[in-house]
Amino acid sequence: MRPENVMVVMKREYLQRVKTKGFWIGTLLLPLIVLTLTVLPSLLIAKSRTTQSIVVVDETGRVGSALVARAHARDREAPKGGRERSERGLMQDESQMARFEIALEPPAADRKAQRAELDRRVLEKEIGAWIWIGPEVFAGKPVEYHARSVSNVFTQEALRDDLTSVVRRERLAQAGIDPERVDALTKPVRLETQRVSEKGSRAEGGAVGMFFALGLFMMLYMSMLIWGQQVMQGVLEEKGSRVIEVVISAVTSFELMMGKLVGICLVGLTQLGIWLGTVAVLTAPGIVASLALMPPGTSLPTLTPGILIHFILLFILGFMAFATLYAAIGASFNNLQEAQQAASVAAVFIVTPVMVMWPIINDSTSRMATVLSLIPLFTPLLMPLRIVIEMPPGWQLALAYALTISFVIGMVWFCSKIYRVGILMYGKKPTFKEIWKWTRYA
Amino acid sequence: MTPILELRNVRKAYGDFVAVDDVSMAVPPGSIYGLLGPNGAGKTTTIRMIMNIVPQDSGEIGVFGHPRAAADLQRIGYLPEERGLYRKMTVLDQLVFLAEIHGLKKAKILPDIERWLERVDLTHWARKKVEELSKGMQQKVQLIGTVLHQPDLLILDEPFSGLDPLNQELFRELLGEYRQQGKSVLLSTHGMELAERMCDHICLISRGRAVLDGNLKEIKRRVGGNSYRVVADGDLNRLQELPEVEQAAVNNGVVKLLLRPDASGPQALRRMVEFLEVHEFRSEEPELEQIFLKAVRDAA
Repeated sequence: MRPENVMVVMKREYLQRVKTKGFWIGTLLLPLIVLTLTVLPSLLIAKSRTTQSIVVVDETGRVGSALVARAHARDREAPKGGRERSERGLMQDESQMARFEIALEPPAADRKAQRAELDRRVLEKEIGAWIWIGPEVFAGKPVEYHARSVSNVFTQEALRDDLTSVVRRERLAQAGIDPERVDALTKPVRLETQRVSEKGSRAEGGAVGMFFALGLFMMLYMSMLIWGQQVMQGVLEEKGSRVIEVVISAVTSFELMMGKLVGICLVGLTQLGIWLGTVAVLTAPGIVASLALMPPGTSLPTLTPGILIHFILLFILGFMAFATLYAAIGASFNNLQEAQQAASVAAVFIVTPVMVMWPIINDSTSRMATVLSLIPLFTPLLMPLRIVIEMPPGWQLALAYALTISFVIGMVWFCSKIYRVGILMYGKKPTFKEIWKWTRYA
Repeated sequence: MTPILELRNVRKAYGDFVAVDDVSMAVPPGSIYGLLGPNGAGKTTTIRMIMNIVPQDSGEIGVFGHPRAAADLQRIGYLPEERGLYRKMTVLDQLVFLAEIHGLKKAKILPDIERWLERVDLTHWARKKVEELSKGMQQKVQLIGTVLHQPDLLILDEPFSGLDPLNQELFRELLGEYRQQGKSVLLSTHGMELAERMCDHICLISRGRAVLDGNLKEIKRRVGGNSYRVVADGDLNRLQELPEVEQAAVNNGVVKLLLRPDASGPQALRRMVEFLEVHEFRSEEPELEQIFLKAVRDAA
């Protein structure tokens, strides 16, 4: 193999792709689309977070005022994001989306007329909704909620929580139990995670490293979906154009295939670099701010430079490994349709790690985790997870790298063989037997 | 003189179909060698085997005086039958790439490329994408790509197909210059007239077999010792019935007459004056086309 030939082919593949308008449109447009799809809805929701005015008619005389007090308390608390809410779980955002202003109104003598009047005010959009708290609410009777639309689940949820809390305290008080004491006694327990490593125990938020590993996982997954197709098409197109007869007489098919793969991989990495750079620039202030706000005692030790280097190496290797897989498919078929059918088979190798991801996160030292993370196509996706959770033994890492690198080189060799012979097949779909035969042809 | 390219008993079959059958030929240095034959005769397969694009089933291929090795291909300029360039590349990038894969440095080759583009009148197209060029222009670009690395042997598969007469002339000129530098050209064509005007040596292929090969002048002398031009009035078609006549091509009262090798010209003339009024009877070189037709018929 002459490296200069690989360089020439690589340069061509890289420059030809990076020079296209399509590359730049894709590179700039995708973040824009992602941004639009993720940020816009939350912006819209934030916009729609208008304060709804609710009229409360309280027949008991004990719920309404407490409800008002509670709503006020929450409004004060909202900006700093109280603990109480985060302990309620994943839906913690919903109460922030619901804001309401409560106006108390005493029950009138003519209940029917009052109800009709309230309905009129709702219809004329003077108020958003009105609720009627009957005297038997403590016995479990529902509270009536009247509004033009009853699909505002977030508001209703928040309202119901507030009502429940107020009514519950009242019931407790009626039963002669001090509600403050109940709160204190039923406080949930928090887990403080301590990671044990050779360097000693320390408090550590496992989330950062895990987030990073999952991010890497998704990035590789996405890149392969996009660039795997590109590799496949690149190989197919060149095969279709007869320029290949000239090229192949000057460079060997191995040099050609190697240059092609490295070139396309570099294009993919360039694109990723641009994206990550943009993300870094855009989120840097936020990250700095959140670091400053982090409670003392928790640090960010999970991302040592060593781990980062593993991540980068594994990412590049993963990219190459999957690219060779798609290149092999591109080299074996003569048109895109046939190749895409075969490509769906290749997707199995991407999907499998997703399926075994959670068991591995749960126990990263299990035999299954060890074995699967050593399989070349799975290594780039699964090894980062293991590294973040608990650094695997050195020999396993070394073996994983060795296997993946051998796989890549072996695949390039395999591809170049089928490619070499595949270009000589005119319009005939190859059988697996033929593909095997080709690999043995010099 | 050691041939620059030599094929010995080369054979290639696709399943039951024998595309090239026991072909031997030798291209002397400093010559233009024509590989002639009708469509489907096996010319392209032969060339692909020389370029190691398809492997031969049996037989030997030698270049530059030794069995062909991978590195030898770098010294050959190859123009495939099915043309193709990277469509999205500019003409300049394309030519630089083709030069680079043949081991040349970009800085060194750029002046050459400019000179060539000017020569074939494509200077203004240098920065256009290949797909914007007409077919003829693409072919000129491809020919430049074939000769940029100054190969010692040019192998051109049907170089003239698709070219207008002006560009055909340009190609002919370029190939002539190439031969003058002592380099060799192997070209395939089914255009006999062109081959006759350009080639020093030929090899006729029909149905995968080489039916005739050698120096064109010698072939003409050997085969065409008995070739005559006849101008006469009368029933010219009856000439075919004469026992001496191998082949009689009538065209506008002029007959290209090819006699059997052992037949005598004067004897044939005596016979034809019996039914024709002969104005002219002259010995001449046979046309390649005649030779070709005869060779193909003899082989069948």
